[in-house]
Amino acid sequence: MIKVRIPTPLQKLTNGKAEVECSAKTVAELVDVLDKDYPGMKDRLSEGGKIRRFINIYVNEEDIRFVNKEETSLKDGDAISIVPAIAGGNWNSTSSQLAASSASEYDYI
Amino acid sequence: MLNIKRSDFEVILAHCRSGLPNEACGMLGGRNGSVEKVYPMRNAKPGPDYYEMDAEEQFRVMKDIRESGFELIGLFHSHPTGQAYPSSVDIAQAYWPGTELPNYPDAVYMIVSLMDRARPVARGFSIEEGRVQEVKLSVI
Ligand SMILES: [Zn+2]
Repeated sequence: MIKVRIPTPLQKLTNGKAEVECSAKTVAELVDVLDKDYPGMKDRLSEGGKIRRFINIYVNEEDIRFVNKEETSLKDGDAISIVPAIAGGNWNSTSSQLAASSASEYDYI
Repeated sequence: MLNIKRSDFEVILAHCRSGLPNEACGMLGGRNGSVEKVYPMRNAKPGPDYYEMDAEEQFRVMKDIRESGFELIGLFHSHPTGQAYPSSVDIAQAYWPGTELPNYPDAVYMIVSLMDRARPVARGFSIEEGRVQEVKLSVI
């Protein structure tokens, strides 16, 4: 069996379970197997057969991007973690308006 | 409210300054609304208006937070030339791709503005389903 750690935003699909078990030979197969057990999982995790850009999948701590991506092979006893990437970007006029309308500034220095 | 020790706050500020002119980022481990451990991290795609955590470092830090008995209580990053408010990209990235499901609903997104280099401004926000709310930062 393979243990899969499910992140908070996907736990609605697993009825609140933070960890599920299944068996699969590759990451691509794992996505299909998860989708069978928890419908909707495939669409959350992948797009056009590829794992979504800002979703990180680790097999025993190793990022599959540096192994064999979707074709990374899995074996009994592996632990898989699905983790959303953390990123952010520039500041623009939209958020400027939001900021102007929000609570007063706090200074800490 | 998120409580941060003055010394930890200084570590966050120093890391944000050291990343200039680019954005800098990191994680905060803690519990019960108090930061216990600051993790300054690498910006894997550095730009004056972009940051992305290194996926392997992110995994290691999240594991260290769990093994230390803490929770991922906050995420911080700098805005070298912008205000201390989440940008539209920050907000978009806080949700699972293609959904309105927040990735880290229990984490405070702390933003450090270095717009005025001599006078940084830090503010905290929670990004939950469809809404951004300010979370007061308390430096003690
Ligand atoms: Zn930002």
